[in-house]
Amino acid sequence: MTDVILEKVGKTYPNGFHAIPSVDLSIEEGEFIVLVGPSGCGKSTLLRMVAGLESISTGELRIRGERMNDKEPADRDIAMVFQNYALYPHMTVYNNMAYGLKNRGMAKELIAEKVTDVATMLGLTELLQRKPRQLSGGQRQRVAMGRAMVRDPKVFLFDEPLSNLDAKLRVQMRVEIRQLQRKLGTTTLYVTHDQVEAMTLADRLVVLNKGKAEQIGTPMDLYNKPATPFVAAFIGSPSMNLLGANLTEQGIKVSDALTLPLSHRHRGSIVWGIRPEHLAVSDEQNADFALRIQAVESLGAETLIHGKIDTASGDGEPMVVRLSGPHLPDINSVMWLTAPAQHWHLFDAMTQQRL
Amino acid sequence: MTVTFPQKGLPWLLLLPQLLVTAVFFLWPAEQALEQAFYREDAFGLSREFVGLENFADLFSDPLYYQSLVTTLVFSFSVAIAGLSVALLLAVMADRIIRGKLAYQTLLIWPYAVAPALAGVLWWILFDPSMGPIALWLGAAGVEWNHYLDGNQAMILVVIASTWKQISYNFLFFLAGLQAVPRSLIEAAAIDGASPFKRFWTIVFPLLSPTTFFLLVVNLVYAFFETFGVIDATTKGGPGQSTTTLVYKVFDDGFVGLDLGGSAAQSVILMGIVGLMTVVQFRFIERKVQYS
Repeated sequence: MTDVILEKVGKTYPNGFHAIPSVDLSIEEGEFIVLVGPSGCGKSTLLRMVAGLESISTGELRIRGERMNDKEPADRDIAMVFQNYALYPHMTVYNNMAYGLKNRGMAKELIAEKVTDVATMLGLTELLQRKPRQLSGGQRQRVAMGRAMVRDPKVFLFDEPLSNLDAKLRVQMRVEIRQLQRKLGTTTLYVTHDQVEAMTLADRLVVLNKGKAEQIGTPMDLYNKPATPFVAAFIGSPSMNLLGANLTEQGIKVSDALTLPLSHRHRGSIVWGIRPEHLAVSDEQNADFALRIQAVESLGAETLIHGKIDTASGDGEPMVVRLSGPHLPDINSVMWLTAPAQHWHLFDAMTQQRL
Repeated sequence: MTVTFPQKGLPWLLLLPQLLVTAVFFLWPAEQALEQAFYREDAFGLSREFVGLENFADLFSDPLYYQSLVTTLVFSFSVAIAGLSVALLLAVMADRIIRGKLAYQTLLIWPYAVAPALAGVLWWILFDPSMGPIALWLGAAGVEWNHYLDGNQAMILVVIASTWKQISYNFLFFLAGLQAVPRSLIEAAAIDGASPFKRFWTIVFPLLSPTTFFLLVVNLVYAFFETFGVIDATTKGGPGQSTTTLVYKVFDDGFVGLDLGGSAAQSVILMGIVGLMTVVQFRFIERKVQYS
């Protein structure tokens, strides 16, 4: 069953700024959708439009078939977790969680029961009488989630909820959010700029760029078949190697030092891409090209090698190679590499679309 | 950072101007008042005799003094509560507007720059029973206004005149306080189903309480001690004793009634009250109330 539908939803500010031209998205019940993109791409604006905190300029938002454009945030049956948690500082944890229920006129005993249930689920029972300032970052985060869960809404909205936590806690909370969402089965819309968070949490990802949805799909769809160079560069870490090239009779001419044989109908300038993990070490006879090594990042489990395609003039295109395990090649030495054809990504340089 | 001076003399030399001002304009008069409180002086200042605590005894057996104390309390709390309510209302409205915000805020701050006596004169003219526009308008509406005869009306007039000046000050603090309330809290409350009215009273107002408490004390102190000019310019403490606050009574008894000893004794009591209020201020207000 389709739960949330955004139909040609757009946002124009009174000063004429087109924050979001038009976004189409339909979310299935229980689905975990992540909106991801660089800062300023309109992802938070889109979320706030669903929440009712920003007006919708054009298009329509429907939740369970009901048009929501003109409804107050309180009447949309959504709950939101804010980046700074937005806990009421003068209320105890219990009252923070009970506030929304009290406003809806729920009976006291029922409120107590619901709050206790959710507090137990989140391990907050000991903290119910504390004020937010007496809590750690992770605990505040959990209270903010408890406040959202206790109302049992149709849709959860998360606005970069983990960005104020330290790296270790972030990983832990990420796993916890995913587990909770699976358990509750509540449709979720989650905003982040962190592609690792996006990849690990999402059932489906929406990659936003300048207010436009560049691609919507499962994390693996986006990884394997990015629709545009923007998505290709955004998903995956380190980023895909993307080089301007020319598609000719002979194949893909990346530079004087690198021509890859390929028969393709398309002619003209393209963007050729290959992920750092798909480049393979080879020997001089079989290699496609040579890389002049400039920097090595050893992470133990993997090694990232930064270099330039080796040319006589030394101004070859930069490339990153990712090898598993430890490697310690000399800086300025040459490394022979192959770029297997099944891992190539080709985009039209003009339309920015995948070929 | 600590600055050390090679000679012992220089620091004192640098402090001297401030110390002189304090000594001449604060310590000396205070000492004079304290001394005078124990003497009875004739009206021409030609002779005086030591009377011990008699001035204080007279004061505490004088029903007019207690009446003045009640007047002061009524006046001060009226000014503080009216000033805080109106300023909060204006600040909430100013916080919402987007266009012309700066102009609106600047205009609201102007009254604070008006001298108390001028503020008094301004309201005195507006409410003058024979020619003041507000008095005439009230007359047309069926309310007979004459604060020269009606003590309650006189009190209303001094409260309005004193409050008007203080609203700007309160407004500034409330506006700053409102702007410090994170937007996301209001948004969270909106999603939690609280009406705008409820959002204000359950979220915004509690978060403003440190500001409100600070302003309450500041306004009480203002109404107690700094409204002499307003009262003198509008009602001169009258009619009868109806707007004679403790501070006005010090002046009235001392310079009109020429009872310098009694006036000095009252000053000493006021000094005690100021001291007490300063302690309250430091104890409860300087201690920061913090939310994070």
